[in-house]
Amino acid sequence: MKQRKNRKINSLLGLILSLALFAACTDLTVQEIDSTIVESTEGAATGDPTELLSSAYQDLGTFTDQANIYALGVHPTDEMLPPTRGVDWGDNGVWRTLHAHTWDATHSWILNAWNQLNSRAFKCNQILASNPNSLQAAEAKFLRALYMSYVVDYWGQVPFREANEGADVDPRVMTRTEAFDFIIKDLTEALPDLPATGPSASNPTASKAAANLLLTRMYLNKAVYTASDATGPYSFDAADMNRVIEAADAITADGYALEPNYFDNWTGDAASEVILSTSEGSPQNRWMMTLHYSQNPSGWNGFTTLADFYAKFEDGDQRKGSPAKVDGSEFSGIGLGFLIGQQYDDDGNEVIDSRSQQPLVFTPDVPLAGAATEKGIRAIKYHPATANDYILMRYGEALMNKAEAIMRGGNSSESAVDIINMIREARGAAPVASLGEMDMLDERGRELYWEGFRRSDQIRFGTFTMTWDEKTTTEAHRVLYPIPQQALDSNPNLAQNPGY
Amino acid sequence: MKPTLMRYVRRSYLLFGALMLVNVLLAQRSISGTVTDAETGEPLIGASVLAQGTTTGTVTDFDGTYTLDVPEGATVLEFSYTGYTALEVNIGTDNQVDAALTAGTALDEVVVVGYGTVKKSDLTGAVTNVTSEDFNRGVITSPEELIQGKAAGVRITTASGEPGAGVDIRIRGTSSVRGGNNPLFVVDGVPLSGDNTSAAGNSEGAGSSAPKNPLNFLNPSDIVSIDILKDASATAIYGSRGANGVVIITTKGGTEGKGVLDYDVSIGASSISNRYDLLSTGDFLQAYTDFNGAAAAQTLNLGADTDWQDVLFRTGITQSHNLSYGGGDESGSYRFSVSYMDQEGIIEESALERITARFNGNRKFLDDKLTLSAQFTVAHTHDDNVPNTTNSGFRGDLIGNIIKANPTQPVYNPDGSFYQTTIVEPNPLAFVRLTEMFTNTIRGLGNLSAEYKLTPGLSFKTVLGFDRSFSNRNDALSRDLVVGNVEDIGRLTINDLETSNKLWESYFTYNTDFGNVAFTGLLGYSYQEFQYGGKSIQYSQFRTSDLNQMINNVTAAETSLGTSSFKTIDELQSFFGRLNFDVAGKYLFTGTLRADGSTKFGSGNKYGYFPSFAVKWRMIQESFVPDVFSDLGLRLGWGLTGNQEIPHNLYTQRERYGNFDIGDNGTDINGGGLSTVAFANPDLKWESTAQYNVGLDFGFNNNRVSGSIDYYYKNTNDLLIQVTAAQPAVQPFIWTNLDADVINKGIEVAMNFVLADKSKFDWSISANAAFNDNVVENCNCLINTGAINGQGLTGAFAQRIADNQPLFAYFLRVFGGFDSEGNSIYPEGDVQQFTGDSPLPTVNAGLSSSMRFGNFDFNFFFNGQFGHTIYSNTANAYFTAGSLANGRNVTRDVVGNGEGRLNAPDVSTRFLEKGDFVRLQNVSLGYNVPVQNSNVFSRLRLYLTGQNLFVITGYSGQDPEVNTSKPINGVPSFGIDFTTYPRARTFTLGANVSF
Repeated sequence: MKQRKNRKINSLLGLILSLALFAACTDLTVQEIDSTIVESTEGAATGDPTELLSSAYQDLGTFTDQANIYALGVHPTDEMLPPTRGVDWGDNGVWRTLHAHTWDATHSWILNAWNQLNSRAFKCNQILASNPNSLQAAEAKFLRALYMSYVVDYWGQVPFREANEGADVDPRVMTRTEAFDFIIKDLTEALPDLPATGPSASNPTASKAAANLLLTRMYLNKAVYTASDATGPYSFDAADMNRVIEAADAITADGYALEPNYFDNWTGDAASEVILSTSEGSPQNRWMMTLHYSQNPSGWNGFTTLADFYAKFEDGDQRKGSPAKVDGSEFSGIGLGFLIGQQYDDDGNEVIDSRSQQPLVFTPDVPLAGAATEKGIRAIKYHPATANDYILMRYGEALMNKAEAIMRGGNSSESAVDIINMIREARGAAPVASLGEMDMLDERGRELYWEGFRRSDQIRFGTFTMTWDEKTTTEAHRVLYPIPQQALDSNPNLAQNPGY
Repeated sequence: MKPTLMRYVRRSYLLFGALMLVNVLLAQRSISGTVTDAETGEPLIGASVLAQGTTTGTVTDFDGTYTLDVPEGATVLEFSYTGYTALEVNIGTDNQVDAALTAGTALDEVVVVGYGTVKKSDLTGAVTNVTSEDFNRGVITSPEELIQGKAAGVRITTASGEPGAGVDIRIRGTSSVRGGNNPLFVVDGVPLSGDNTSAAGNSEGAGSSAPKNPLNFLNPSDIVSIDILKDASATAIYGSRGANGVVIITTKGGTEGKGVLDYDVSIGASSISNRYDLLSTGDFLQAYTDFNGAAAAQTLNLGADTDWQDVLFRTGITQSHNLSYGGGDESGSYRFSVSYMDQEGIIEESALERITARFNGNRKFLDDKLTLSAQFTVAHTHDDNVPNTTNSGFRGDLIGNIIKANPTQPVYNPDGSFYQTTIVEPNPLAFVRLTEMFTNTIRGLGNLSAEYKLTPGLSFKTVLGFDRSFSNRNDALSRDLVVGNVEDIGRLTINDLETSNKLWESYFTYNTDFGNVAFTGLLGYSYQEFQYGGKSIQYSQFRTSDLNQMINNVTAAETSLGTSSFKTIDELQSFFGRLNFDVAGKYLFTGTLRADGSTKFGSGNKYGYFPSFAVKWRMIQESFVPDVFSDLGLRLGWGLTGNQEIPHNLYTQRERYGNFDIGDNGTDINGGGLSTVAFANPDLKWESTAQYNVGLDFGFNNNRVSGSIDYYYKNTNDLLIQVTAAQPAVQPFIWTNLDADVINKGIEVAMNFVLADKSKFDWSISANAAFNDNVVENCNCLINTGAINGQGLTGAFAQRIADNQPLFAYFLRVFGGFDSEGNSIYPEGDVQQFTGDSPLPTVNAGLSSSMRFGNFDFNFFFNGQFGHTIYSNTANAYFTAGSLANGRNVTRDVVGNGEGRLNAPDVSTRFLEKGDFVRLQNVSLGYNVPVQNSNVFSRLRLYLTGQNLFVITGYSGQDPEVNTSKPINGVPSFGIDFTTYPRARTFTLGANVSF
């Protein structure tokens, strides 16, 4: 009796258990409740082009960093020096090796810049694969061209991945010439659909002027980018120079002009030069990276210019700078342009270095290692009291590019000297009677210092492999950065650049 | 025929427990007797005597005698004593019942393995069982600390001396290259997820701090034993989560017998064990003068004489109370416990408060065929945090500022406000007083199980488990605090974290005999769902300085963006089985197989299969083994285990809106854009570890000397790791299965010596040592980790993972002293290279002694780690001539070491030191107060415990047991010391009382 009862219970239990077990089995389909799965098919994806484009513009903030992309463009040049100051700025040698041209394929800024630029270019591929409207497509192509232009410039080869290719695909790699053509094609296709936007203190989206400015950069450097040997010699083609002039003139036609007061370019009062700017990121990096701790604002006491570079400026040239107002208002102890000699606080009192307890006097001489805190001339374009957007493109560069294109054989009703003198007059510098190639490079330095282009200028003018303060290496192959070691390990289609 | 009332009462224990404990008085008689050791004839003190089938029992007194009023109907007395075989004696008519107990051998201990238990002598795998008698004593916050140093091959490192700090456990070396390197924890059958249950801290402007140990919710006093499954033949039953070993925690249930009320109380005092040897005010000013001149020193001198270590370090008082009530009979048992612990840290304002409650109960029904069990615990933990971070920059965190603060700086202004200079040199006391940082965590863990005996050999068990936690972390920094990103604006970060883990598993167990072959089989199914979610909000631009108002009236902030949230769900579905054969008690065979399916991998790779095999030859049963042996057994095992501890869904291309971020000035807000968070990554699969194990168990002279030796070889491949993505890519890093081998091999030795076992004096010593060798092979990789922070150290790192190196091998400049200018010389070049040093100890050892002399007991315990090096990021960032020349205090050894004021202290072997140490971890003296004449107490023990009494080491830092989390891009580091919360020396006075 009891046994039968048990057997009944047992079979009942068994049945319930089997059912329950069977019902419990799951097919392990992942549930997403905090993100959207992108269904990608042949060449297309289901992304939201509006949101992705907005995100792509936010990514421009990466250019405001003092390290990585910006650092690669300015530190290996004759306009900036990153001294190691006792316990400050050693940073595992990343700065010293950039200035001294002793970097290798494991340099972390080189890897970071590679990752930042290429991943941002890829986001543009995603926008283009997400059924954008014609304006969105044009903006994405412009942004892709902008990021790829840096990759072409720094490394000379450009990896490319389609929007729907996953981790199992090794990206193909474009040669420098192929990548150049790709960028020109993007810009050419984008131009008709981009708006003709005039100057504004804040100009955060792509315009015809921005695309044209990028075209002037590309054609001006085409001889470098398409040379059979990256180390030169470079032969400039008049037809390419004409394209530079054409694009620069198109910018002028959109209403751009030189700012009467040079340093207004980096304030909310900028009225006539700003072509592309971003409110993302932190323009304050530009003053923090150079100001001393004991100044107000308290900076990181980092980068300086070189004595020889400072010597290229004549008195009266607005671009050399102006002394601090010291009227008691916040940050009025900070001057504009180059800061040299005794520094003052907002009320005009001498600043005392809080560490050495000596008066803070910036001196022109500055060693690359073992520099005392006061060594080196500082430079301020973004002023802590007035800074607005970060400027990515401005009209001054367009004019400089045009003048250089004329010098290199382009056709124009104006001469290179005319344009340079127009700029110099606007900046308060005396006109010049003639203009040699090195004069042109110097003038570019004066107009565009610390804006991120000195490296490609020095390569184009052939001075990048010469020597200057604290830089003795003259290895020709350093006109290109090495492909980062981790990138080489990640993609068998990449080959290390010669010499590394 | 038992009285119905009794039966009713007993059956109700499960539900009504202690409340229903009624002493039912029935006709009874008094029986007395003596309990002795059968071998020596000496009396046994404290042996249990129980009238079988009743709740009536007692313990023997100092002379081994007892008197018990036995209820009518009781016919058998049960005698038991720890370490002895229990004995049942018929009462008969005599009123005198003596018992002589035989010392049992350790072989009869039962060890918990996955989904079951086995006798220790039948173990085929490498398993270490640590029971509560052997646990570490004193102020113990987390369960891991109970077994630190007690098990060979189990290295337990608490990250710092902070109350509730995270704990790293490495079983048989480090085999993975990412966060998920801790073993799987299984508490009363519920496997826990490896997720943190409280958020990391954000001390704005001074860096971030690591989350607290998620296991702090378990009250160590509730734990009865911890079993550590080490080799793959033991862990493979947990398949995909077994590669780092499995730690099985079993909590206390009621013991059969009348209800016992236990109260444990202790009070402890902790103080810093080793201070930094900083310059005195006078020496500091002199040294600064030597660099910068007298005039400068005069300006630097702020006139006071402050010892910042005195100001910030204190004696922390810890009080702990545990109250439990439990009992049971042959058909069920129950135990309730509540605990309260309030631990003050040795730094002002840091503390941990914990309240826990637990119920464990089980009961048999349907003629003992059905057993229902339940175990529930809930804990509330309140952590008071201080701005001690793992990655502060040149301005420093709290510890950094205690070290570097100018000793001439006053603590207070004359008006009583804090004397604060600049954001570069924060006042350390202001740093803790003008901040309010705390975490509240509530975690509940429980399970209900039903086991039904379908036939005498076949039973079925089903378990429902849950583990749920909520935590809320607030980090508020007042605008009055002169610290970067905080001064004049104030900052508040609120982090909520929520986890949920649901378990349902069922399995059949079958036992049968075929002749002299005993067979046990297990077949089961398990389903687990893990939810993990959180929210983070940042506030800035506060209109109030009141810390409480900042937290509780957040609209006082004018900027209140920077919000982010996330929530993920993952599932794990498993089928598992195990076969055990025992042939003639001589040859034991175990085979297991688990198939795990996980949503962490894409279609095609969802399932992983993890088999294992092991054999044991109990040679002691063979006639050729000499009589001197009391145990001899040889074990051989192989198994394949896995690892799936990677973030949620890394294989489907997905888009998310990015987090907002408030800039340094408190107004700029960046981010929020739509981005792709993962690639299509269909090839991602399980990491797998193959492990071989050979072990020998032995015992001599009735196991007065016993031990085991194990050799293992572990090879982990298809390493799950974040590597640089092939650009262009959606993110800079991508998870992949790295085609490399991480090999750990080593030897573990555990020995136990019984030096005396007289009735009034016993003494045993146990020792263990483990030797491990770690190397990465066949790796086409270059992965940097070990971020080094501090002034002039941006982007610096100290470790690299590469081929033919141990994991986390040091990659440094080789330091050769200073030149005449006082600048560093690097004879092998100003470049980093492998130096042949490893942060992984090659030897871990423990030595414990347990002695009882009459009513006194005395225990001590040493542990040590050897063969590794520590990189002192603290020295790199703070103990340099340049730091002194900048007006910051340094340790004494910096003065006159030849370094110049403008030298750059780049990452080099200058800051690498041997990490070997021996620590007197624990000394405990106890006294059992004779209470046999007391009507109130059944037991009263008083004890005094000292923890961390001394450390023998050459390491110059605060303590050599250190592991600051210094990851780069999600790849963890090991063995780096940076502004670590100092370790304490603790004295505890306590009492265990039973009623």
